[in-house]
Amino acid sequence: MGERKLRVGVVGLGKMGLVHTSVLNVLPNVEVVALCDKSDLIRRFFKKVLKHVPILDDAENLSGYGLDAVYVTTPIPYHCNVARTVYQKKISDNVFVEKTLAASFKEAEELCGLARRSGGVNMVGYLRRFYVTFAKAKSLLDEGKIGDVSSFKAYAFSSDFVNTKVENRESGDRGGVLADLGSYGMDLALWFFGDLSVKSARAESIVQNNAEVLRFELCQNQGITGICDVSWCMKDYRMPEVGFTVDGSKGTVTVNDDWVELRLRDDASSRWYRQDLNDNVPFCLGLPEYYREDKYFVSCLWEGREAEPCFESASKIDKMIEDVKNRLRKGD
Amino acid sequence: MLVGDNPFHGISHLSQERSKARISVSEDPDAAASLVCLALDNGANGFMFSVSETTLAILKKIREKGEISRLGLYAIVPYAYEYVRLATQTGGLVGLAKRFSKQLVTSRNLGAIASGVKGVLGMNPEALLRTYLSYEISRIKSAAGKDARIESVLLHEVITDMALALNLDWLFQAYSRYLFKHHITPGFNTCNFPTLVTELRECDMEVEETFVATPFNRVGFQMNPSREKCEKTLREMRKPLVVAISMLAAGYLKLPEAADYLAGLPNVRGVAVGVSNDKHAMETFRILNEKLR
Repeated sequence: MGERKLRVGVVGLGKMGLVHTSVLNVLPNVEVVALCDKSDLIRRFFKKVLKHVPILDDAENLSGYGLDAVYVTTPIPYHCNVARTVYQKKISDNVFVEKTLAASFKEAEELCGLARRSGGVNMVGYLRRFYVTFAKAKSLLDEGKIGDVSSFKAYAFSSDFVNTKVENRESGDRGGVLADLGSYGMDLALWFFGDLSVKSARAESIVQNNAEVLRFELCQNQGITGICDVSWCMKDYRMPEVGFTVDGSKGTVTVNDDWVELRLRDDASSRWYRQDLNDNVPFCLGLPEYYREDKYFVSCLWEGREAEPCFESASKIDKMIEDVKNRLRKGD
Repeated sequence: MLVGDNPFHGISHLSQERSKARISVSEDPDAAASLVCLALDNGANGFMFSVSETTLAILKKIREKGEISRLGLYAIVPYAYEYVRLATQTGGLVGLAKRFSKQLVTSRNLGAIASGVKGVLGMNPEALLRTYLSYEISRIKSAAGKDARIESVLLHEVITDMALALNLDWLFQAYSRYLFKHHITPGFNTCNFPTLVTELRECDMEVEETFVATPFNRVGFQMNPSREKCEKTLREMRKPLVVAISMLAAGYLKLPEAADYLAGLPNVRGVAVGVSNDKHAMETFRILNEKLR
């Protein structure tokens, strides 16, 4: 595409929308040409702050901006509507959606169909794939360092709702704890081990009909089984954290946001911290992973190659979330 | 030499395990205040902190101990973690704005309220920024008392770096203008030091009249885009303006080797480092005194 800049639009100016807009703005050969948010207050504010970019009230109005890609960073319940509009109105064939892809598996399937027919590049923002620690763990597993994997234990915890009065919680837009946190564990499990299905699920705590502390079991057709614990009311998790311990025939890999450890049966062990794994980026906003994620998606656009996790891969997470919820409802 | 507040918030960038171990310190403002005072006895002369209920309680305790005039205050605003958590709980930025408005009104800071009303009615970002700064500075003064010396108010890295990414020149200028007017040195906390220096120069600001708090450590942790480029920018400064943070690369490095690295750098004006117990407070500032003074 020569020196031409990619023209990108962002729908949804909450935290994630601002982060992606900012990072895209510093990427070479990318231009953020239009923004969109439903809230009148947000639009009025950002019209004053970002004077050079039009701020629209509806994704439909992105037509006519000649967009190469659209980022959908609205709350989860609006992902499907916005992405559908982008495809149906032919605003762009290339779409990035913040996780999770949709609010239900049915919606996720619909978006997969639209994406397939468009023939464009699509991706869902599962950020932890861009952490240096999880990338290192993935390469250790792929290299067979711990032999045949037999089982894993995972957790995804935060303290976001510790000591919060139930009536003060407005967490619905985040899709519940499974979409908000559990989806990270599911995505990494799919990335590490391939397709998995839900074997059982159990809620330890239920608030306003939503599970807040829960455990689910996953299994894979080659025999790998895993347990995942999820909670957003876990004390002492100032920042959300995801971790895995993976057992294999030759040893164990333990990984979290901060470090990865390889421990072999003969007692040899190595631990790598973020500091050991070349964590620097050309521009860091909050976390270096945002830069790596957006740069990866943009590279895929330039090169016309498929991005991962694409809608198809990410829809498996929406399916797993639905399966866990169904099992919780049925009590198995 | 500044005492950093990360341990008082239960923060360790090296691992969440260490964070969890530190949380007990954050629950006792009196113990944290005693640690700051002990650090002062051992060579520290300032306190760099994010403005939060936790650190304001610590300031209050230091004031009650009669030690507040011994230290310069370097406040970082906003305390991004708390605001992100509030946004999470209140359903996003609009919910956060409503909650903040409520806090502002209950603060009874009339100047800030008037400026805030003007800012909201006219959707004037500069007026809103002034309102916010006035609110935070009044919180610090109210906790620390009239003998407190607010040396600098630094813009948190998330806001600084977002403003850098979005080319918000007006924000850097308005922020500095407001603080200079109130005889406080403006400061910027960043993880993109070379980019910030270039930006400040491009919007005709006197870089050397501000503070910049940014990571400097031997392993280049959080030094973006690279350690080499950050060091080059530092060498090219006309005056020392940098307060080095993350000198231990979040606990990855031992203090003597970390201090040796800093001692070899030009134009470092100060260093901020967190301490989490008495022994740590005494040793840290003794070693820093030996290596850096």
